[in-house]
Amino acid sequence: MLNVRKSAVLAGTAALATLALGACSSGGGGGTATTAAGGSTSAAALTSINVWDPYPQYDDSSAWASYVKACAPAGATITRTTAATSDLLNNLTSAVKEDNAPDVIMLDNPAVPDAATAGLLAPAKDVGIDTSGFDANLAGPGTVAGVTYGVPIGANTLGLYYNKDILDKAGVDPASIKDWASLTAALDKVTKAGSKGITFAGISGEEGVFQFLPWFWGSGASLKQPTSDAAVAAGQLLSDWIGKGYAPKSAITDNQSASWDLFLTGQYAFAENGSWFAKAASTQKFKAVMMPIPGQNGGAAPVPTGGEFVLAPVHKADSAAHYAAATKVIACLVGPDNQIKTDDQLGYFAANKDQRAKQIASDPIWTPWAAAIESAQGRTTDLGPDYTATSAQLSTALQGALNAAGDATAVKAAFAQAAKG
Amino acid sequence: MSTGVTTVTARRSAPSGEHERGRRRGLRPTQWAGIGFVAPLVVYLVVLYAYPLYENVSMSLHRFTRATFVTGQAPFVGFDVYREVIGSPQFWPTVRQTAVFVVVSLVFQYAIGLGLAVFFRRSFPLSSLLRGLFLVPWLLPIIVSATTWQWMMDADSGVINRFLGLFGADPVWWLNAQHSLMSVTIANIWLGIPFNLVILYSGLQNIPTDLYEAASLDGAGAWRQFWHVTFPLLRPVTAITLLLGFVYTLKVVDIIWIMTLGTGSSQTLATWAYAMAFGKGASSVIRYSQASVLGTILLLIALVMGFVYLVVQRRQED
Repeated sequence: MLNVRKSAVLAGTAALATLALGACSSGGGGGTATTAAGGSTSAAALTSINVWDPYPQYDDSSAWASYVKACAPAGATITRTTAATSDLLNNLTSAVKEDNAPDVIMLDNPAVPDAATAGLLAPAKDVGIDTSGFDANLAGPGTVAGVTYGVPIGANTLGLYYNKDILDKAGVDPASIKDWASLTAALDKVTKAGSKGITFAGISGEEGVFQFLPWFWGSGASLKQPTSDAAVAAGQLLSDWIGKGYAPKSAITDNQSASWDLFLTGQYAFAENGSWFAKAASTQKFKAVMMPIPGQNGGAAPVPTGGEFVLAPVHKADSAAHYAAATKVIACLVGPDNQIKTDDQLGYFAANKDQRAKQIASDPIWTPWAAAIESAQGRTTDLGPDYTATSAQLSTALQGALNAAGDATAVKAAFAQAAKG
Repeated sequence: MSTGVTTVTARRSAPSGEHERGRRRGLRPTQWAGIGFVAPLVVYLVVLYAYPLYENVSMSLHRFTRATFVTGQAPFVGFDVYREVIGSPQFWPTVRQTAVFVVVSLVFQYAIGLGLAVFFRRSFPLSSLLRGLFLVPWLLPIIVSATTWQWMMDADSGVINRFLGLFGADPVWWLNAQHSLMSVTIANIWLGIPFNLVILYSGLQNIPTDLYEAASLDGAGAWRQFWHVTFPLLRPVTAITLLLGFVYTLKVVDIIWIMTLGTGSSQTLATWAYAMAFGKGASSVIRYSQASVLGTILLLIALVMGFVYLVVQRRQED
């Protein structure tokens, strides 16, 4: 009987322990060569450098893994750890607390202000990272409250892919799609012609918000007023697409890979998705072409910048050695000569204008993206660390709007509800 | 462990006169040995259960953010965070959804599991093979089964809606805010049936067959045999099945998370706690303290159920 009671209590405890301990799981420790002799100011170089990146799709045998490892300075080896950004950030939080943070970490750009204000990142100036030469709109998220913490490893953004075969069959001229009304008219035409409309990722959380922003900004809404009438109009647009059957209902749970897979079936006319799929788009059986996402009243909508930042976490013990290692690895990844190589690995654009011009010139599939990346906006530029909470609000509103399936009262209510928090 | 071994050898080699001195000091060597043997268990419990539990409760009484987690300088705020979480507009709907999820899951898992257990009690050709097949949900990794459920419940092209369409029913948007609680509950029932089947089936093996023979001699049909023999004699097994099922279901995160990310009505206390503790789902703002509050509440509920079980069992023994 005692056993039974214990098992009941323990089972409950186990659930808690998962919560409590999960938050404390820490990453690898930094191996330091302790052979430093003499002068206390000149620390010995590290022999083992830890790098965390948010690209779990590349495993240890991938080209990316060997590319990162090849950045180890002479006499050192790089250990790479990879997980999704939110997990990396959580692990980094406990690692900094235990002072065994990695030497270099790559975080998705909207997570940078959050990490910086929590005191997890060392300012680039202290570390010695060269932050010059990056485009202002792309480097923006790396600067929080006037302090620059890191540099973009590259950049990506969103565009509107279309299946030219379907559009031709339905008699839709892509050049006629200039604003929301003409896009919706095109969706109507292709669905009447027997094809499906558009795929996008409306999944709860940052990924869904990232995909919502071109419509949000395209309506004239501002992140400072995330539930304004203009914002509601953007929510209504996507909600109508679901209500009228232009977009799949699974958009509420689809992430960008899932919505891309739907587009690759060849049944959908349009797909809102990222530049990182541009290469994949060029190798399909159907002709997939990219156009800028239209704003409500014409012209290209502002699109959000995507992509990770390379940063050096805070170290207490032996910080000089850790920062020296970080500087070398970061220079190897995003130094002027290596940007294109790194970004080709990731399917990203170089974050430096001149480098990017070379990159775009070398491969025609990038050409339609050149203007989009230049006019793209940082998500955290307006709000800094407050972006995280605003993004949560937008995500709730967007989910409500998509669930409303076109019902204007419900869409309005969803935004009003989100405004209350 | 080593303490235990050394005290035992010390006690063996000690002359008998030492006994008196040992008692005067307070503890006899055998008692030291006892402590030595218990120590590893106590250390285990303290390190892996008591300490995390203490940390969890302590975290719920301090206001932790990502920054204060690093500096360790979270201010003590008493029950402020509890008031905040319980006062939040999400709290009571989430409690209600959790209750529906747990109760409906348990009722159906138990009823279907018991029905299948009684069915398989009679062995017939292929019965053990079929029984084995019913365990599949248990053996599949949840990422596989939950993703499969998500596909099957796809509103536009899912197999379930296709099937319903054969009967002329309108397609159901299974995973939207309104229906997601129903959908994850259905998937969870499917997931829990094997557990109920296995435990209840082994409970049935312990009911002596002569009771059924006597009942049928007295003219009891299958239905009366079930209600007057099987069901009452299964009561102890039923109690433990329901208790374990309750605790398992209360803390379910995985299947809900994979299917809907806990959006809409499918948010339960457990998924909410997970979302806040790790900054997942709609909001990537990390809320350690609020998550700890929910963790503590979940623990208390499980604890209460444990006591309910004890009371029920004691009454059965009397």
